[in-house]
Amino acid sequence: MAFFPSITVRSPWLYRINAGSCNGCDVELATTAFIPRFDVERLGCKYCGSPRHADIVFITGPLTLRVRDKVLRVWNEIPEPKITIAVGICPISGGVFRGGHSIDGPVDRYIPVDVNVPGCPPRPQAIMEGVLLARDLWLQRLEEGKAGKAEAAYAAIS
Amino acid sequence: MPLFLKILARNLLQGPATEPFPYQEATTPQRLRGRVELNADLCVGCGICRHVCPGGAIRIEPDAERAGYSFSIWHNTCALCASCRHFCPTGAISLSTDWHSAHRQTEKYSHAAHYYVPYLRCADCGAPLRLLPPALAARLYAHSPVDMARIIKLCPNCRQIAAASREGERYGTGGTGK
Repeated sequence: MAFFPSITVRSPWLYRINAGSCNGCDVELATTAFIPRFDVERLGCKYCGSPRHADIVFITGPLTLRVRDKVLRVWNEIPEPKITIAVGICPISGGVFRGGHSIDGPVDRYIPVDVNVPGCPPRPQAIMEGVLLARDLWLQRLEEGKAGKAEAAYAAIS
Repeated sequence: MPLFLKILARNLLQGPATEPFPYQEATTPQRLRGRVELNADLCVGCGICRHVCPGGAIRIEPDAERAGYSFSIWHNTCALCASCRHFCPTGAISLSTDWHSAHRQTEKYSHAAHYYVPYLRCADCGAPLRLLPPALAARLYAHSPVDMARIIKLCPNCRQIAAASREGERYGTGGTGK
């Protein structure tokens, strides 16, 4: 059965964290994945309900003080290798909320972001492009991880 | 007839409802608000776009030699609200339909547009002068008999002097003949 994993491409599972978003980007994410018109399941992606099953995580919202620690706790539960996508201008730069008294963002102050999809909100197609970019990065990181493990095993026996 | 047969027939006739997007170009509405662009030939540097921008995406800074000003738009904090386009008095700002905004984190701060708008020189004294586009000047001087073509090449000071000498000639109180 080892033949199949070698010829198939692994499917990333998606997870969504709302870091104090106005819900616009969350709605846009839901329309991207959940309606058949912009079906991301064609690309092998699937929404999951638990951070422990996730591979690609979308963060929306400017990271408010109130939600910061919860976001970090959930984000830390996602196993490596994970790809973080900042969706909308708020997690990327603070957007229109930048400098607000309750804003502790942008998100990359606390979390290493890999892909940015700016927009207020971005088009579903733009989010799809972000997913494709993230999937490529994720597959690349998996390969690197495998190579790293092989090297480590080789170093252990030699 | 069972309902599923009806649905099956409809699906066979209509084809898939899914957009073929990642494999084909997506349809883009003509009035989609995409990336903000500046036409540097029309910009007068009034800064109303910077003032109304809710995300603070626009930065206007004169350069060190005072030969012009730089105009930068950081797309990563632009809310695509089109306030800048709405308030621009000369129509220099437009929103393209380019929505391809996804990029890697390494390009976060380079995902911006930079323009440079040089100052003109006053025809009389050579002082730096912001452009007054002919279309805007035509609106300003629509009901004035003044020669617009000459006035838009003068700095505000020289324009005052020209106006004063014009009035002087008119009322016979002397003039410099300019």
